Amino acid sequence: MTASGHMICSHCLLPVGPRAMRRIVNGEDCGFCCYGCCIAFQVKRGKTEEWEAAWLLIRLGVGGFLSMNIMLFSLLLYTDTFTGADARLIPWVHILLWIFATPAVVILGGPFLHETWLNGLQGRLTSSTLIVLGVGAAYVYSAFAVIERSPHVYFDTATMVLMLFTLGRLLEAAGRARAARDLEPLLAAERESVVVVQDGTEIRRPVREVEAGMLVRVRPGERIAIDGVVVEGESYTDEAVITGESRLVAKEIGSSVAAGSINLDGPLLIQSSGAGTATRWAHICQSVRDALMRRSPNQRVADRVIGISVPLVLALGGMAMLYWAQRLSFDRSLLIGLSVLVVACPCAVGLAAPLATSIGIGRLARCGCLVRDPAALEALARTRLLAFDKTGTLTAGRARVVGIESDGAATDEVLARAAGLERHSEHGLAHAIWMAAATRGLEAVVACEVRTVPGRGIQGIANGQRVAAGTSALMSDLGWPLPQVLAELARSMEASGHSVVYVGWGERVHGVLSFDDTPLAEARSTIEALRRRGLHVTLLTGDLAQAAQRVAAAVGVGGGDIQAGLSPQAKLAALDRSRQGGEPVAMVGDGLNDAPVLAGADVGIAVSSATDLARETAALVLPARGLWLLPWVVDVARAIRLTILTNLMWAFGYNLIALTLAVLGLLQPVLAAAIMASSSILVVINSLRLERLPDPVPSSILRRPSSAETDSTATALAPVMLGSAINRG
Amino acid sequence: MTYYLVVFVAGFAGSFHCIGMCGGFACALGRDPRGGGATMLRHFVYNTGRLTSYCFLGAVAGALGQMVCTRQGATVMLLGGSVDVAERILAIIAGLLMVAMALQFFGLLQARHHLATGFGSSVFAKSLRSLLTARSRAAPLAFGVFNGFLPCPLVYAFAAEAVSAGQTLRGILTMASFGLGTFPAMLMMGGVGRVLAPAWRQRGVWLAGSCILLLGIITLGRGILPFAAHMEHGWSGVHPR
Repeated sequence: MTASGHMICSHCLLPVGPRAMRRIVNGEDCGFCCYGCCIAFQVKRGKTEEWEAAWLLIRLGVGGFLSMNIMLFSLLLYTDTFTGADARLIPWVHILLWIFATPAVVILGGPFLHETWLNGLQGRLTSSTLIVLGVGAAYVYSAFAVIERSPHVYFDTATMVLMLFTLGRLLEAAGRARAARDLEPLLAAERESVVVVQDGTEIRRPVREVEAGMLVRVRPGERIAIDGVVVEGESYTDEAVITGESRLVAKEIGSSVAAGSINLDGPLLIQSSGAGTATRWAHICQSVRDALMRRSPNQRVADRVIGISVPLVLALGGMAMLYWAQRLSFDRSLLIGLSVLVVACPCAVGLAAPLATSIGIGRLARCGCLVRDPAALEALARTRLLAFDKTGTLTAGRARVVGIESDGAATDEVLARAAGLERHSEHGLAHAIWMAAATRGLEAVVACEVRTVPGRGIQGIANGQRVAAGTSALMSDLGWPLPQVLAELARSMEASGHSVVYVGWGERVHGVLSFDDTPLAEARSTIEALRRRGLHVTLLTGDLAQAAQRVAAAVGVGGGDIQAGLSPQAKLAALDRSRQGGEPVAMVGDGLNDAPVLAGADVGIAVSSATDLARETAALVLPARGLWLLPWVVDVARAIRLTILTNLMWAFGYNLIALTLAVLGLLQPVLAAAIMASSSILVVINSLRLERLPDPVPSSILRRPSSAETDSTATALAPVMLGSAINRG
Repeated sequence: MTYYLVVFVAGFAGSFHCIGMCGGFACALGRDPRGGGATMLRHFVYNTGRLTSYCFLGAVAGALGQMVCTRQGATVMLLGGSVDVAERILAIIAGLLMVAMALQFFGLLQARHHLATGFGSSVFAKSLRSLLTARSRAAPLAFGVFNGFLPCPLVYAFAAEAVSAGQTLRGILTMASFGLGTFPAMLMMGGVGRVLAPAWRQRGVWLAGSCILLLGIITLGRGILPFAAHMEHGWSGVHPR
């Protein structure tokens, strides 16, 4: 949760330290990580009458006016325009420069000085300290030079360094805002307002005031901010934020809609099914916000480097100046010291990791994948071993009829009679039975006086005969004999991990139905795709070995990579064993049954079934039925890591090379400032490349009209399940 | 001197073309409630800001040209006079650019719009908008400074010309003449706030195009013609060389 003082920048959505810049924009209290973001945010959001936004730009403009004039005359001086008879003008030009430079340094340097002062009070040195010291030294020296009538003044250096840094910060902030674009809808849940229809009038109210049963009108193009049921109108919605799949879902009266989806076509009147703050979308937003505020390991390293680099650079600059002062004139050595201070500003290093991470989190979130801890992304990129749980992860978690054994009676009759009974039940197996009957085109034998026997099964009367379906205990309760053949078959089925249901009528047992969990249609292609990415896939399950073997064979996991019959503790131990050589291991589960294992793995990935994200233990949450996204998520994690590494390499490498050049006296301060400012912008541009990662492509299996009954039902049921899951949550 | 006069005229004529964009800004800057004098001052400050940006561009361009010309230093003995190769190459490039701009003014060359309105112009536009309504007396100055960097083919053309001038001061003077040339129209635009008849604007565009074409051909000639390397001295005469 939000620790005191920790928040994210209102503009670029990166975490800011305890000393954020604070401004009131449009009546809202906003915090910014830097001056650039502060300006850019106010330009973008601030109403034109906002005084300060304009004031900041005026300062930039006037500062620009002054420093351009200074540069203009300095260029004339540098290019030896005032030679010969004109040389007597030079002292007057110097005085003119001084007159221009004084307000410019005050106007442009003010924010840097302010920042340095605030940090200095807490005994901290930041990159602004370097700028203030360097620029201050150049200015003071030049002022003395004017008084003493020395040949060289460096007002242009002082003002241009300030100008370039201010401009660089502004441009950097503009780039970062682009990065934040993806995240914006995910952070908007709390700010969103909805049009509530009450007694025929429409009032706009904040979403947190919405309660169950309220009517909310959503116009086309708007984001639906609440969960609920459509009571008027029809439209298509895009539920990508929730399901990860960007496709049109038709909605009509009675359809349930999920908060976070976008209403595309027509106006909808929606009856809210719960409080506005209790939606899955609101939880997603909270979760993203929390993730953005955490610092990844890379980031912590970078922060530490920045922390020690500033005093180091100061010392280095001082030493370089002292060294050169013995060999060159004082002003030349001063300039070299200034170059060192300016060029070693560790701005780019500080930006390398958080920017790439937040873009990555936004990119993943747009497809419904939630990152709850940025460290997990880094770990996932390095991981070589991916362990899967079976039930609910690689399988649908729903039973399917896989065998019908009968003793004399036709198998169809067994199924039809069972279906007639199970129509009245809501048991998981009942659903499988009537689905199986429906797929075979059987007409269920209508039963009446149906009643369920808890824990045993169900019985009723059909065609004047008593019919029953359930466990062997139910059959013996009824006193119905169980033929030897069926009993043996059932025993062997049970031994191999199947569930069985006995079906009897006419005072004896006539058949046995066996059930098994079905592998997900996309499981095989997903595992293949993961293998192609060099990942080792294993199966860790609490189920019987035979059941695990069957699923493993179906999805393409080798026999040696299966460990069955594991308790959650044993799963954790198995993960620990495979974590040889310090490489992180990832565990993929459904987030319900194996929460402790997901929490214990380096990367816990939940293929979301958990309805309450706050209780979720996994660091990465895929949307429901989002297993197919996993290879893409791995790709994104790797791309993010690569970007962070290239950013850091560039930032560090650049700093080192430039620093060397500056120490050797080969770099002009203005050039150093220009390169410095551009290095941050390069980091921004490199990170923005993450936005262009290809979207995940749903596997072809999902698109094909499925022959497997579970698949079609699952697709048909998905919205219902989702809706009901959210309602419960 | 004549040379700068031609640049001035080109700027003056060209500013009628600019009225579409910068003139809009000048209008938006509007009148000062404190009276006519204050309004005049407001527009004068705005145009000063713009002129500074142009001069700065000219200085940088001129210094760049000077750097290239003195660094290369490769001179070729030609027809009894030494001619700087780099200066000639710069002149050819600048001349071609200016001719291209002129043709664009005549509508003979399709403008590459994305070039002119590329990166950052939206950021600029937003910044400018917030400055327009600010009540500060310094706001028009800042506004003018930013305005000076708005992508504009005219500015590009004269910046290219400034590079080919090969000297910082000449670069500044070129851009300053151009900037001063745009003063009257812009001041009128702001002060009077009257939209010029389209026919007059069209004539202005043609005149600007002709001036730029003339300058472009002269610059090109300076690069190509063997004896014309210092031709412009003959009719400028004031260069402190």
